[in-house]
Amino acid sequence: MAVIVSVVGVSKIYQLGKTEVPALRDVSLDIHSGEFISIAGPSGSGKTTLLNLIGCVDVPTAGSVVVGGKDTRALSERALTNLRLHQIGFIFQTFNLVSVLSVYQNVEFPLLLQGGLSSSERRRRVDALLGAVGLAQHSHHRPSELSGGQRQRVAVARALVTRPPLVLADEPTANLDSQTGANIIDLMRDMNRRDGTTFIFSTHDPKVMSHASAVIRIADGQVVGREAVSGNGGGH
Amino acid sequence: MGILLLISFRNLFASRAKTFIVGGIVLFSALLTVVGTSIVDTIDSGMRRSIQGSLSGHLQVYDAHSRDDLALYGGMMGENDLNPIRDFSKLKAALQSVPNVESVVPMGIDQAMLGAGNLFDQALEKLRGDVRRCTNGGAARAVPGRSPCAALPEVEKEYQAHKAHMQRMVGLLAKDLRQALSIIDPGTHNASELARNREALTRAIEPAFWASFDADPFGALEFLENRIAPLSLDGGFLYIRYVGTDVAAYQKAFPGMEIVEGTTVPQGQRGILLAKLYAEDWLKLRTARRLDKIKYARDVLEKRIVAKGRLARGDEELQRWVKENQTSTRDILLQFDPIRAAEATRRLQRALGTGEADLQKLVVELLTTDDDNFDQRYRIFYDELVPLLQLYTVKVGDSITIQAPSRSGYMNSVSIKVYGFIQFKGLEKSSSAGMTCVMDIMSFRDLYGFMTNDKQAEIRALKQTANVKAVSRENAEAELFGGDAEITGTAQSGNIDEGKLIQAARGNATSSREALLSRVYSQQEIDGGVVKNAAIILRDPRRAAETAVEIQAAAKRAGLDLKTADWQKAAGMLGMFVTLARVVLFIAVFIIFAVALVIINNAMVMATLQRVKEIGTMRAVGAQRRFILVMLLVETVTVGLTFGAAGTALGAGLVRLIAVRGGIPAPNEQLYFFFSGPSLVPHLDAAGLAISLSIVFVVSILSALYPALLATRITPLAAMQSDE
Repeated sequence: MAVIVSVVGVSKIYQLGKTEVPALRDVSLDIHSGEFISIAGPSGSGKTTLLNLIGCVDVPTAGSVVVGGKDTRALSERALTNLRLHQIGFIFQTFNLVSVLSVYQNVEFPLLLQGGLSSSERRRRVDALLGAVGLAQHSHHRPSELSGGQRQRVAVARALVTRPPLVLADEPTANLDSQTGANIIDLMRDMNRRDGTTFIFSTHDPKVMSHASAVIRIADGQVVGREAVSGNGGGH
Repeated sequence: MGILLLISFRNLFASRAKTFIVGGIVLFSALLTVVGTSIVDTIDSGMRRSIQGSLSGHLQVYDAHSRDDLALYGGMMGENDLNPIRDFSKLKAALQSVPNVESVVPMGIDQAMLGAGNLFDQALEKLRGDVRRCTNGGAARAVPGRSPCAALPEVEKEYQAHKAHMQRMVGLLAKDLRQALSIIDPGTHNASELARNREALTRAIEPAFWASFDADPFGALEFLENRIAPLSLDGGFLYIRYVGTDVAAYQKAFPGMEIVEGTTVPQGQRGILLAKLYAEDWLKLRTARRLDKIKYARDVLEKRIVAKGRLARGDEELQRWVKENQTSTRDILLQFDPIRAAEATRRLQRALGTGEADLQKLVVELLTTDDDNFDQRYRIFYDELVPLLQLYTVKVGDSITIQAPSRSGYMNSVSIKVYGFIQFKGLEKSSSAGMTCVMDIMSFRDLYGFMTNDKQAEIRALKQTANVKAVSRENAEAELFGGDAEITGTAQSGNIDEGKLIQAARGNATSSREALLSRVYSQQEIDGGVVKNAAIILRDPRRAAETAVEIQAAAKRAGLDLKTADWQKAAGMLGMFVTLARVVLFIAVFIIFAVALVIINNAMVMATLQRVKEIGTMRAVGAQRRFILVMLLVETVTVGLTFGAAGTALGAGLVRLIAVRGGIPAPNEQLYFFFSGPSLVPHLDAAGLAISLSIVFVVSILSALYPALLATRITPLAAMQSDE
């Protein structure tokens, strides 16, 4: 399988006044296309920082991050935004839906930013995804009218509507009850299996971890291990 | 773009309170801009029309070496000191060569004094006239015990009435004067003069004086004229402001001048047109003037005196006028001879439904007005009493004497006929601009002290009569005192008949005065003399600025050094009012929009900070910075333009409503001038509306810029941060 993300010798140091806080220290790893990876570690271990660097919303202090064959250090802010729009989908811990848009419009939003698709094609994709996440009948509702689990499903649909090769999810089940959380992970796993989309999600919940095909453990800003999860083959 | 607009509009609805607060500020600002601009523009155009149409024309020219700048309505220190332009015809020829100049009107604006005359003098003059007619100018001697007019029945009736009137006036004067004299501190006045005055007064009111009047009418008249008339407290001199001009040319150039009574001054003749407002304020019976002012205040300004039984306080100025009317009945009573006094008594008894026989008490009762009876009393005054009175001290057809100090300090005077009364459109009630009288230019030149052709001819005639011979300085002693001096005449001793001399002098003066009044001057004579300034009427007023340059060049070529002034500059401080009003409006609009900008900016910054996560998410999923910037700008500009348009529309509606309801009334004469009429009827124009919307648009953009730029700095990282 091709390497979709390559992290080489990456360090990230945050400056808090005069104090330097190293969030990541010399991290190197490769993610292959179609994998369903969990990044696990306690709070403050650097999971979110690593996801941010892979997701091109932050840049490393040292080292390189290559996503989809592009070194993020060499890209302008505009190019990074474009990369996110076309190559990466995001699922946030707190759902992060646009409150003034309906479910349908929230899912459609990335397609409108991309442009180039006819309205009928956009409709087809959005309807398909809403059906896939089981929210077809809620397409005209506003996020405030949905439950937490429903909102996260909308977020999943939004993340996948542009058919990105890579989806990043930062603690996607943290604000959900265990059953709902499990359902969301199952949904993501189905998408991974069906479309071959690479998923990287952070969590500190062992139950959630158990769904992944592999778990990258991280502690104190360093990768301390990578282990396959038996019975959960990733991708095609 | 569609999703951007959708997000923007929905965000506006989501924060309705903020949207309406911000929108309300924008709406109010736009409304104020539209209404304010409309009012100022209307004042500007109204004043321009009034001033240009009455006195300034499109441009004014005057000598560039004058000490003061031209101020058509006077400056703070009085009339401006302008150098004379000696030959108007030269100026006229030079300026009319400029293509855009349609006409050039000569002017000389100044102040003078008008002899108001008092009632006592007028009554004495009538009585003297009767006696002169009856005694053939004094040639026939009076017969003791017989009226001098007994032989002329048609004059006898008038003589008796005038004599009775004079006796009545003396009686009324005596009452007032005795009171006045009694409160004078004897230590501060010449005691003997006081004693003489008391003695004269006592003699004048005794029946014996009037019984012996017929025996020596001229002696009695002389006594009254020399000893009693000076004690009369009315009359004196009034200031009069005038523009000396070619009246025919002036009337053609200034359509704003309306003749409301009488006719214009005949072409080429001397004469004056008095300002109607001047006549109302200064020449009208004071009581009538006060009644008119009370009526105007009640009917137009909706003020009230105090009605009986009501507790509300009325207007103090109206109350003061009512009080003055009640206590100042003398100027009415002095006008009545016994016949007219009886008729006035009868009329007032009937109108007021009373049996009171004392005329003074009847007049006081008539003038005791309140809000309930004012209209009725006003009508009675004008219907019943005014026909028996002389309402104005000067009428059309009267000759008046105007005096003014010349530049060299001597007093010049002219006798001039009143041909009519005028007013200026839009300035009817303005004491600043509506009081200017229009006088022929020859009379102006006499008053100004410049040697006119008439004066030169008069001096030549005097020299001839006196056989004056020019003597050189070198030969002066020999000529004056030498033995070979030519005897030109011999003085003869004899008595001087003063009466004959005075009569002859009066006769000569009268005939020369009459000759002047009827003389017709040619256009060459009118143009060929001095002026102080000139009004220029242009064919195309829009080209005033460039024409002013051409005028100065043409004048220079003719050897004249002139300054030009547009209507605003020429109107001096009054003309600056419009500029001042614009500055005040600009400052007010600036302050309001500055405050609006700050408030909108703060509101949008707070809104942006509340939407950090949402904006970060949009950035994370692939929205560029430009998308965020445009989204914020669209939100603010939508609020700005929507509420700005609403404010503009409301402002336009308010202006229209004010116009339909008759405009904003002028509560005093200063505002009457600035409103160019009794009320300001504002008008709208597209430029004013466009300005308002443009300001709103610019302010919206400016107030959104900082929060929008702030929003573009929100990174996708913000979306990743949890709320923990």
